[in-house]
Amino acid sequence: MNAHIPTTLLSGYLGAGKTTLINRILEAEHGLQVAVLVNDFGAINIDARFIKNASDQTISLTNGCVCCSIADDLGAALDQQTARDNPPDHIVIEASGVAEPARIANYASGWPGLQLNSLITLIDAETVQERARDKFVGRVVTRQIEAADLLIVNKLDLINCAQLRRLEEWLHPLASEITVLKTIHAAVEPRLLLGVAPVHASAHQLNGTEEAHGLKAISWEPNGPINLGRLKSAIQFMPPSIHRLKGMVIDDVTGIAYSVQVVARRREFSKVEMGEPDLVGATAGNGQIVAIGVDNADLAELRHTLNASIAANLSVP
Amino acid sequence: MPSITVFTAKQIRTMNPSAPLATAVAIRDGQILEVGTLETMRPWLDTFPHQIDTRFADQVITPGFIDPHLHPSLGALLLQCHFITAVDWRLPGGEVAERVHGHENYLRRLQTIHQSQESGEPLLTWGYHKIWHGEMNRAILDQISSERPIIIWQRSYHEMFVNTAALRWLAIDEDEADRHSQVDISQGRFFEVGKAVLMNKLNSFMQEPARYKSGLSKVKAAIHQGGHTTVGDMGFDPEQQLEHYRDVLETDDTPFRVCLLGRVLVSNSSVDDEIERIMKFPEMSTRHLHFTDRIKLFCDGGYFAELMQVLPPGFIDGHEGEWMTSPEQLQALSRAAWHRGLNIHVHCTGDLGVELALDILEKLQWERPRFDHRFTIEHFGMSTPEQCERIAALGAQVSANAYYVHELGDAYWHHSVGFERASQMSRLGTLAKLGVRTALHSDFTMAPAEPLNSAWVAVNRLSLSGAVMSPEECLNIDQAMRAVTIDAAYMLGLENEIGSIRAGKRADFTVLASDPYETPTMELKDIPVVATVFEGEVHWIER
Repeated sequence: MNAHIPTTLLSGYLGAGKTTLINRILEAEHGLQVAVLVNDFGAINIDARFIKNASDQTISLTNGCVCCSIADDLGAALDQQTARDNPPDHIVIEASGVAEPARIANYASGWPGLQLNSLITLIDAETVQERARDKFVGRVVTRQIEAADLLIVNKLDLINCAQLRRLEEWLHPLASEITVLKTIHAAVEPRLLLGVAPVHASAHQLNGTEEAHGLKAISWEPNGPINLGRLKSAIQFMPPSIHRLKGMVIDDVTGIAYSVQVVARRREFSKVEMGEPDLVGATAGNGQIVAIGVDNADLAELRHTLNASIAANLSVP
Repeated sequence: MPSITVFTAKQIRTMNPSAPLATAVAIRDGQILEVGTLETMRPWLDTFPHQIDTRFADQVITPGFIDPHLHPSLGALLLQCHFITAVDWRLPGGEVAERVHGHENYLRRLQTIHQSQESGEPLLTWGYHKIWHGEMNRAILDQISSERPIIIWQRSYHEMFVNTAALRWLAIDEDEADRHSQVDISQGRFFEVGKAVLMNKLNSFMQEPARYKSGLSKVKAAIHQGGHTTVGDMGFDPEQQLEHYRDVLETDDTPFRVCLLGRVLVSNSSVDDEIERIMKFPEMSTRHLHFTDRIKLFCDGGYFAELMQVLPPGFIDGHEGEWMTSPEQLQALSRAAWHRGLNIHVHCTGDLGVELALDILEKLQWERPRFDHRFTIEHFGMSTPEQCERIAALGAQVSANAYYVHELGDAYWHHSVGFERASQMSRLGTLAKLGVRTALHSDFTMAPAEPLNSAWVAVNRLSLSGAVMSPEECLNIDQAMRAVTIDAAYMLGLENEIGSIRAGKRADFTVLASDPYETPTMELKDIPVVATVFEGEVHWIER
């Protein structure tokens, strides 16, 4: 089994907007068959026009997505997805509002057939600080923020500028190394969350909310094989402003193609098997890497670092 | 009209404070007519035909034991395993799995079981613990057998070891499974969440109807053997289990009734719909399966798994407990049930869990004061003395798993929360002083389904190493006996029908070889249970 299904874990306390975001992921035209596993099945409210059929535990949508109830047994829900004749392209797991993010990440990372891509935490801009002081849930709310690869600050419309400034000051020590997106109504481009958009396209196809927060992308195409060791060290310490990096490269020593995935602090290199679809749609023989971030200078620096990983006997483009 | 039977006994402990001692009890048609002496019950005996049954004349009769919180469906899985444990376990049917200490002895027992089993049948065993039984791994198990699947279930349920044949049998893709951070495939070890990789496949085997029902039959024998005539199943799912329960437990030879509380499932429906569903439960009741509309809710995580929520200063290693239900949802469910006048049971294991349950109860009392509401704290692992005062002030009651003190006392002292808090888990003495109604339960399979064993722990508070854990919190024998009879009946709302021996109640008795009140407290757990009487019928216990 080589093709592990990329998996996104969606965390956040009650009322942070997880269900709204899930509805967006399910209804969006991203061209992918996404399976969303949810805790609160009753709260999922999908436009009837998009529903192909629905049962007690599963809703199938006309775009090929499905939404399934976890019903107290995440392991069984995951096995059910990997066992499908036509497995999904991507799995999104909704953690319960009080779930310990590390514990549920333990489930998904390394579960047979799955690969955990990223842990996304949503917070409610208006109430998160109060929640974080609560004697019962304060600690879990804080840990959900700290464990995130990507933090979505939702419901910005409910706070004013001064409150936003105070929120940012409060968040800073918790989330200094985490990419933060700010939004209202959980209006985040689903393709960006799933990491499936052709990234240079996604930077200008983003809707107004994200664009306002300045997401930028670069595409890097080496003109030959690269030195895998050097590439690994090149991307080991990327600035936190770079949220995702993804692509395929050819190792100059072995000639083997590797897929590269970076989501915040997670780094994955894996051999690309013969016949596996090209991960970034790059058909060029030498591969391609795309990166997305919020800081132009950091992205430029990354391009420079990547150039340095090209095998020594080749010229830099 | 059926005739009257009179059981005589050396001593009858009625657990009715108005007349605690007797030597004869007259019953008819499953109901108690009078308890006292042959002399005092003359008016009945002079009026109706009767027989005097002297089979228990040298024994002691108590009310039928009640365990208000156990899980037959978990037992049905565990009892499919061979027990190889560090302490003696009485098994259904009277056999005792004698304790095994030492690595070589463990392997010898495993080998014996392997050789006695039919070929092809997987070997499942429970009770392994590294402290007692040494290292375990896949290579060791492969030496026992390369053909037969062998699965070792660790005593606290958090770890499993399997051999190569078991991996093959369960169709585990080794490379895939090894990617999981809590699976070590070379050692055949699956722990914590990693165990789910194995359990998902193993479950479908253990849940096969014939296998499950055979496990449930063993649970039935274990419940009888403990001397119970009523047990509470706290968290029953009719859709999954009702058919099997009816097949195995709704039979004439079942010597006890099961009081069932539905498991609350809110993920697929609204809180109100869910409460409505549970309020219809009593309609399903039959003779042995007594459905209730009591509500079972979950607060914090498992006690054996160290996932209870703990007040500062927390765990020594800094790990965190977990919430099984969010505080908001727990409150919404409690509120919906409270305002309909239902009785609420909340699984609370840590002191922060108890705190949340009491905060909610306090709000509900403010919104709509209720007397005799029976809000029950279930398990009651860690607590503070001040919380006990609050439990009393708010009119709550406690159903406790005192066995934690015995099995986990040393471990939690040395590795989890330190001596002060570990020794004061199950703060039963304080509850008794405050007059809080308290019952003992086994939460079987978390503790043996033996009320006398639970009482023994509550009275002596000995840890496995023999340390006395906070003698101030010991119950006296009368408090402990009430906690497995009349006070346990209160937990299930059945105090008018069972739990003591008095005119009008069901003729449910437990027959003991000696009087718990006259037995040295250290020997309480060893008093033989001779028989039970369920609704007037005698059911002997083989030993």
